[in-house]
Amino acid sequence: MKRAAFTHRWIPILLLVPQIAIIGIFFYWPAIHALRSSFYLQDPFGFGETFVGMSNYLSLFKSAAYGRAAIFTVGFTLIVTFLSLGIALLLAVKADKVLRGAKTYRTLLMWVYAVAPPVAGVMGVIMFNQSWGPLSDFFKSLGWDFVLGVHYYDTAFAMVLIAVWKQIPVNFIFFLSGLQSIPKSVREAAMIDNPSAAGRFWDVTFPLLAPTGFFLLITNITYSLFDTFGIIDTVVKGEPGNNPMTLVYKVYVDGFRGNDLGGSSAQSVILMVLVLAMTVVQFRLVERRIHYT
Amino acid sequence: MRSIYISIVRRFFRCRRNHFCVLFVGEDLTGEASMKRLSILSAAAISLMASSATAQTEITWWHAMGGALGDTVNQIATDFNASQTEYQITPVFKGTYEEALTAGIAAFRAGEQPNILQVFDAGAATVIGAKGATIPVQDLLTENGADFDINDYISGVRYFFADSDEKMIGMPFNSSSPIMYYNVNAMEAAGVEAPKTWEEFETVTAPALAEAGYIPLAQSHSPWIFVENFMSRHNLPFATNDNGYKGTDTKILANTPELKMHWSHVKDWLDAGYYAYYGAAWGDNQTPFEEGKVAIWLGSSGSFGGLAQMDLPFEFSATYLPYWEAVTTEPTQTFIGGAALFAMSGKSAEENKATAAFFEFLTSPEVQYMWHKETGYVPITTAAYEMAKADGYYDRAPAAEVGIQQLSLPAGENTKGYRMGFYVQIRDVMNREIGRILGGETSVDDGFAAIETEGNDLLAKFAQTQSQ
Amino acid sequence: MTKSTPRKRFKLSVVVDHAVLIIGSIFMIAPVLMLLQMTTMPDLINMKTGPILMIGDQLDDNFYKAMFKADGFSGANTGMRMLWNSMLLGLGFAAGKIILGMMAAYAIVYFRMRFATFAFWIIFTTLLLPLEVRILPSYEIVQRLGMLNTYQGLIIPLIASATATFFFRQYFRSIPEELVEAARIDGAGPFKFFVDILVPLSKTMIAAMFIIMFVYGWNQYLWPTMITTEENMFTLVRGIKQITQALEGTNLPEYGRANMLALIAILPPVLIVIFFQSWFVKGLTESDK
Repeated sequence: MKRAAFTHRWIPILLLVPQIAIIGIFFYWPAIHALRSSFYLQDPFGFGETFVGMSNYLSLFKSAAYGRAAIFTVGFTLIVTFLSLGIALLLAVKADKVLRGAKTYRTLLMWVYAVAPPVAGVMGVIMFNQSWGPLSDFFKSLGWDFVLGVHYYDTAFAMVLIAVWKQIPVNFIFFLSGLQSIPKSVREAAMIDNPSAAGRFWDVTFPLLAPTGFFLLITNITYSLFDTFGIIDTVVKGEPGNNPMTLVYKVYVDGFRGNDLGGSSAQSVILMVLVLAMTVVQFRLVERRIHYT
Repeated sequence: MRSIYISIVRRFFRCRRNHFCVLFVGEDLTGEASMKRLSILSAAAISLMASSATAQTEITWWHAMGGALGDTVNQIATDFNASQTEYQITPVFKGTYEEALTAGIAAFRAGEQPNILQVFDAGAATVIGAKGATIPVQDLLTENGADFDINDYISGVRYFFADSDEKMIGMPFNSSSPIMYYNVNAMEAAGVEAPKTWEEFETVTAPALAEAGYIPLAQSHSPWIFVENFMSRHNLPFATNDNGYKGTDTKILANTPELKMHWSHVKDWLDAGYYAYYGAAWGDNQTPFEEGKVAIWLGSSGSFGGLAQMDLPFEFSATYLPYWEAVTTEPTQTFIGGAALFAMSGKSAEENKATAAFFEFLTSPEVQYMWHKETGYVPITTAAYEMAKADGYYDRAPAAEVGIQQLSLPAGENTKGYRMGFYVQIRDVMNREIGRILGGETSVDDGFAAIETEGNDLLAKFAQTQSQ
Repeated sequence: MTKSTPRKRFKLSVVVDHAVLIIGSIFMIAPVLMLLQMTTMPDLINMKTGPILMIGDQLDDNFYKAMFKADGFSGANTGMRMLWNSMLLGLGFAAGKIILGMMAAYAIVYFRMRFATFAFWIIFTTLLLPLEVRILPSYEIVQRLGMLNTYQGLIIPLIASATATFFFRQYFRSIPEELVEAARIDGAGPFKFFVDILVPLSKTMIAAMFIIMFVYGWNQYLWPTMITTEENMFTLVRGIKQITQALEGTNLPEYGRANMLALIAILPPVLIVIFFQSWFVKGLTESDK
């Protein structure tokens, strides 16, 4: 803050008040409220509540369904992150290399950024329709009896595919601009040192992209955890059944659909702690990234 | 065509702030809209204008009836508004049953509840448990001078939404029961009749249908049909405390030998190709029946209206839900499913009077008969049933009578209904475990043990929310 | 021999590059083409066969239904109404976020304050927790404030995070310090400096931020699903839920109309991203969230 220039007393406070007020009312109040509710069991209509201590948390740790959702969430996050980063990196490297049609490719590969996740989910549901979905038919022709909504792993596969499709553009944009910011001199030097394209990529380009990659890793994990809600909700068609679901979707199902306010608040608090831990890691990485550049 | 769009767009933006503008847009579409739709819109427009002139009592009704069912709901509301001048009702579609219930609860907590809220069977314990949230429909009607007699209602309908003293709390509205639909052509091709018992299905019907190239059986709502109504059809207790009516310290009885016997057979049928499972979503299981792939489909009696309108490529009919002779030789009636209308508390006497007037209108034989005919839901009063019979409706559509006949079968001590809190979640648990059983991820024994354990945990949790 | 091999290999690698990019592009665009195809077909065929390689003649009919037909007694949730609501949500969210963010960032970067560090942490903790994890209590509070089914209730809680503030803070700090010095010597007060120098200087950044925030707001799903239950408040993306439910109903599912609505829901943000591509990319890669 050494660059501070003005010393007025009230102006900065006035400037900050709207932001802090909104954050106070719609961020801190709900967060504290969630913490409190997680220790109670409450009648949905608000007529009565009982203090139950840690029992909402304990029943989560005991619950096999919650465990399954947690395991699915971890697996889903890892696979979506890995695939969408990998495919986007491949496409970005190619798009950086080609001379003809570079701009067209760039547009075609990035517009999906603007598609809302539930719309992506709707497309997936049509693609995987049980009677005539083109992709179900395709898999069936390969001998894979693909049935969305019945086979747990088929449904999970569909969710992963849709989530990856939706996330490729962001990663692509970041990787491409990362590649394009590599100075020409570095590229030319590498060209002389290392005649093989693959070798050049792993020795020079990849390390230079690593900071972008670290940053994207966190972004993609957050995406898989939270922003995929719309995809999950449309794919399961409102009936959780034996379908895979993420932890955020479970907060919604138990709290909003099932009206169990205490149990769902406890789940919220667990997620908050998780995200807090992740962000500490992120801040460390961002700091390191600043040192790089 | 384009010029029409433009004129409508202009009109729309010009009158955006005006309450009537959307209705006028509707009227512009005369050419496209069906006459029915038009009559609703114009009637609504006229009555809206009338309402601003005279001092009418306005009430709102939140419901979960989408699609064609929603059109019929709107028709009933329009007819009620046209039938008198004192009251004005506005129905609002709130999404699925679960969403409607949650929206109603949230609105109640914010003090903005509607006069009438539609709550489905699984939400009954939640809404009836919250004593101050609703006015028992029986009290509402008596206080407002209507003559109410619970015996006017069909016996299977009477007590599901009543309290332990058999006082009616919610007005049964769209009452349905699971029945067995079958493809008549398929039955003929296989040379069999619709099965009366599951034994008959297993040994005679299913093999013949499979032989004839059909998938013999599918169903749309496993927890409802193969758990809840399995209990009522065989007169088995579903929960302690008189199926949960007497108190909240209830235990669910899902881990019983009869139920597990049934599901072991279902799993065997699945493996033998006699049964198909298309997931937890309703429509995914109904579609193969409509396509003629599945010969017998267990669905709601309320599905009749939709199926009848669909112009299926085969003839279909319906009959009672089969039972196991090994379990009982005297099968009983089934539970009603569907939903009831609850009068929310915290409203003025004026508005409560309007709500009572609407309930009276709704339960009149004419309206009930119309609702029954349009949708396939059962008429809730004996008078309406008699009217349908006298009109010869069942001579024309025999399958439409199955639901109400099944609800009028002999009752048992376990058939009036069940009352369990957090039941939406309990159903979700059932759906999950059934999916796992059928997918081979767990055994029938472990699956139903899990349903019972998790169900009891949820019931215990619910009991704690109720202690004040 | 030895001379022609590298040339050949070079050519081959170009072909491979293009092949990868073309496959990638098809992978991205095929689902939308499928939606479009289904909007041209009669619903009966859609229901029976799903997407096929054929163009029907129902496009304008389905467009008309999607835009002007409504479900429900009120007749309020037409495509037009939802488009309007989505537009308000996108614009309101983007504007609110940017105005508040710039104000707060200005205060943090350019003023000496006693509680500067405290304010910084109060604000930046919000970067950590997305709305989804505190969705239920947020809903309860909005309900308590009587803001269900209002535009305020829809927009303001979404603004309660500091992404824009953080972004503008980083950007302001990259502006040369001499500028403020010069302005002060010229006798410019804080207000004049902000309006006459800082805002014009940040124009591109504001535009880039606006695009990203607009798309983000437009695409919100969970929050509008919970907060709006009145049909006349539905946004297009929230309306998707209604659409999928209609497809589950017992009558003839209206695939044509539903898919058309889905296309209408993605069109405005997609067009903005395509047409303002360079701003958008700049904003995205430099904001670092």
